[in-house]
Amino acid sequence: MNEFLKELQDSARQVMEGAGTPAKEESTWGQLVELGWLLTAVPEELDGLGLGADALCMLSGELGRNLSEAPFLPAALAIEALVQSGLENKAELLAGLTMGGELATASLAGSDVTASGSGDSLTLNGKLVAVQSADNASQLLVWSNDSQCVALVAADQAAVEAVSRPGWDVTRRLFDVTLNGAAGVALAQGAEAEALVARLLNLRDFAMAADSLGGANALLELTIVHLTDRVQFARPLASFQALKHRCADLKVEIAAAEALLNDSLLKIEGQLGSDDAVFRGKKAKYLASATYSKVAEECLQLSGGIGMASEYPCHLYLKRSMLSEHLGSQGSYEADIAEAFLRQLSI
Amino acid sequence: MSSENSTDLLRQEVRAWLQENVPAGWREAMTNVDQELFFEAQRDWFKKLSAAGYATPHWPEGWPGGGRSLAEQKVIYEEVARADAPRLILYFVALYHAACTLMECGSKEQQEKYLPGILNGEIWCQGFSEPNAGSDLASLKTKAERRGDKYIINGQKTWSTMAQYADRCLLLCRTDNSGPPQAGLTYLLLDMKSPGVSVVPIHQITGDDEFAEIFFDDVEVSVDDLVGEEGNGWAVAQATLASERGLTLVELSQRMRYSLSFLAEAMQANGTSEDPVLRRELGNVIARVDGACALADQYLLKRISHQEQVGDASLVKLYYAQALRAYTTLGRKIAGLDGMFDPGFMRGATQETGNWPLDFMNSYNWSIAGGSNEIQRNIISERMLKMPREPKSWKWEGGR
Repeated sequence: MNEFLKELQDSARQVMEGAGTPAKEESTWGQLVELGWLLTAVPEELDGLGLGADALCMLSGELGRNLSEAPFLPAALAIEALVQSGLENKAELLAGLTMGGELATASLAGSDVTASGSGDSLTLNGKLVAVQSADNASQLLVWSNDSQCVALVAADQAAVEAVSRPGWDVTRRLFDVTLNGAAGVALAQGAEAEALVARLLNLRDFAMAADSLGGANALLELTIVHLTDRVQFARPLASFQALKHRCADLKVEIAAAEALLNDSLLKIEGQLGSDDAVFRGKKAKYLASATYSKVAEECLQLSGGIGMASEYPCHLYLKRSMLSEHLGSQGSYEADIAEAFLRQLSI
Repeated sequence: MSSENSTDLLRQEVRAWLQENVPAGWREAMTNVDQELFFEAQRDWFKKLSAAGYATPHWPEGWPGGGRSLAEQKVIYEEVARADAPRLILYFVALYHAACTLMECGSKEQQEKYLPGILNGEIWCQGFSEPNAGSDLASLKTKAERRGDKYIINGQKTWSTMAQYADRCLLLCRTDNSGPPQAGLTYLLLDMKSPGVSVVPIHQITGDDEFAEIFFDDVEVSVDDLVGEEGNGWAVAQATLASERGLTLVELSQRMRYSLSFLAEAMQANGTSEDPVLRRELGNVIARVDGACALADQYLLKRISHQEQVGDASLVKLYYAQALRAYTTLGRKIAGLDGMFDPGFMRGATQETGNWPLDFMNSYNWSIAGGSNEIQRNIISERMLKMPREPKSWKWEGGR
């Protein structure tokens, strides 16, 4: 991580420490818009900071630490799609989405969408799942099943229906969205769309990995404080090897998943969406979300009775980690990793 | 930019050299052979490598092959792993532990006396662990008694790698019992041919015998062979243990990564390539092995930029040991019953032979030797995570 990004991280950490856990949606969203976090990955020629995926991941990590409710990731994906598009009025749209507080959101999991038409007269049909904060969005980022079309769809049309799906993870509000012949504007079509979808899903994997690792780190820190403060048998619990060795095991899992994420971001050299980058993103996301779940499962046990109380935040991390394991591309990440590996071997 | 270019050039140069020089089929040649043949192969490989300057990149400038930056050393190790070259296990203690200890803590006379011998292929072993001093190394009891200008050594060492072939030994002894355990230790250099030294190889569960016990019966060591001050042996031993500076784990994790293809070959060989459960487990192991490589890499980069923190080395070793266990366990699972009917073993092969029960058993070398997983967990939890230490005193309270 370069010096500038490191400084940005320090200030983001400070901001988030004041935001509470979980960091509330409305205030956090307002703050991150105001602080220009949505501009970090936008290229400099479009008035952004040009810090790319590294910055998005760093910020996702900081938001993950505090179980942020704000839809930063889907918003960043929509902004990235717009940046990559050739839309004539993209500067104006970007200004609204990055600094105007306007939200374009997207699915954090799967979608089943078909598109017809072209340019600004697309017709879209189908369903998106796990669309974050859809009720606050003015636009939806959508891609078709065949990856031949990436589009922005206005959320306020009658042909778009968003239904809230309350779930175990209360830190992200997810919606099912149905498109019944909704009108949309193409951001990319054909081969360009295909490349863009690969790029967006790749970015989503990396950012989700970062969110998971932020949460895992924060929860392990919280648990160590608990173990250090709580005295039983006239000793702090943290002095028992049976407990601290488990903390060491969690630390080492987190460290490896972090190293893999950072190494991957370095090695892809900005080439998001390439076969190599997609493979690395799958591995990073898989290892990070598996680690998050393991950390959360262990920390619930290590917290003892207090972990079962809703006033104590351990369960919020657990529920977010369980959801995060299932978000991202649908199907099995492990199977995808094996397939990509075997394909590489046969070349 | 220029240093990046120079490592790129070095990489090409090393890669080309290895392509020419790695003995073809060395793994097959080392399968089920006696130790003498292995010894000869190691000697030949050492001669080749040191003639090319790749055996001593970590030595200071002025020595053959020396003066390489840590970044350049990393390149050499990565390429050695990539080429699947034999590991120099017979010479490792001499080239790293002995040489680095001498350079850091030895006198000028000691350096002049011993370093040229190491370059010429003298074999060293390490005499640290004892039957009752493993994880608790500082409690060691082998005694060194000062008499005139000599120390008289009595006691026993164990788990000494390649001691049966060694010319010399890095010996950690007790010269004082009065203070805390670490305070009374003294570091000596021992000629293994001295009268009173006897070595008994330890037959391992894998069929190999890489380790030995060393017995000392009134063995004499000149005070000229005292490294550092008497009673300062613990500090000198730390220099020995820090000598390879994470390079070994960069190499080993890369070797493990290149060996992932053995898992795919094993699946192909017995028709399980399409088994969805095995494929998922393969995906999991691939991600973990990549994690191990990234962690080892990051650690070395931290060392290069002087940002290492206490516990970092423990993270690398613990994760590697666990990834290796997962990798070899999956191999056993894929090989199934058939894997249990090939007791052949391979000398100097590390833990990637494709003989899965063998590799699995060898993986314990990395979770036990050089600070067991449990010791690494102590270091990580107490020194990195700042959790309180286990109470020191202990009293037997119940019957058995």
